[in-house]
Amino acid sequence: MTSTEAKTWFGQSIEGCLDSLYGLAMRLTRNAADAEDLVSESVTKAWSAIGTLEDRNRFRPWIFRILHNCYISDYRKKSVRPVAYSYDDYAEEGEEDDITSLLIKQSADFLSWWGNPEREFANKLLGKDILAAMEKLPEAFRVAVVLVNVEGLSYDEAAEVLGVPPGTIRSRMKRGRTLLQKALWEHAVDSGLISDNEMKGSKP
Amino acid sequence: MKEGKDKIEEIDCMEAINGLYAYLDGEMADPGTLAKFEHHLEHCHSCYSRTQLETALGQLIKKSAKDTAPEKLQTRLKKLIQGL
Ligand SMILES: [Zn+2]
Repeated sequence: MTSTEAKTWFGQSIEGCLDSLYGLAMRLTRNAADAEDLVSESVTKAWSAIGTLEDRNRFRPWIFRILHNCYISDYRKKSVRPVAYSYDDYAEEGEEDDITSLLIKQSADFLSWWGNPEREFANKLLGKDILAAMEKLPEAFRVAVVLVNVEGLSYDEAAEVLGVPPGTIRSRMKRGRTLLQKALWEHAVDSGLISDNEMKGSKP
Repeated sequence: MKEGKDKIEEIDCMEAINGLYAYLDGEMADPGTLAKFEHHLEHCHSCYSRTQLETALGQLIKKSAKDTAPEKLQTRLKKLIQGL
């Protein structure tokens, strides 16, 4: 392949996943201007590192990894904002049983509220509510949820992006979802989506 | 279930919930584990409902967190790639 062909292919590949790159950058920087800069910088870095792309079918995890690394080295410091839950409270090196009981306990109220069709949850809870709840997640969990749930990466691919073992992605997905449900519940309470009656007997 | 294969080992709700997310993420690779999980769902209303809810929530998250790159970023990148 000539360098012109390589560049054309690269350009098309970027175009093909640009929305995903921008989305990931938005979830990381939580700011449109920074997200655009981060994507641009990552594209430049990716081209100069094109030789490290071993398998063209794995372009997405490869470029996500570059973007994530770029965020950590150049953007994280200035975008650090307080999050609702401290990472330490939910350190990932917990026993599996702990995670499971956390899963069952913490999500129960939210799920029982949500599961009641009379409450028309789907109509009440909007995209902005989901995004607000995602913002509250500690970064490690937020990124895992974006890569797997939003972008549809396998645990293996997400592990490649973040440079962690696949088992870590597995546990982050559990905790990330649990925390997200907790944050959604709190958001629903705070914004009056849940009435006092509905809260009775089901306060977390 | 095909004849002769109806002796699926029962799992409890704890084990089912523990595997729920791997199932939703398409990461329950082992056919035996998958069969046990699905068998449990067929017989446990609570875990079945939970799986339905989690599936719907997952779809809502996916839809909500999807972004479209702004046009000016698309233009900026086209220029950038041309100049590489
Ligand atoms: Zn069950």
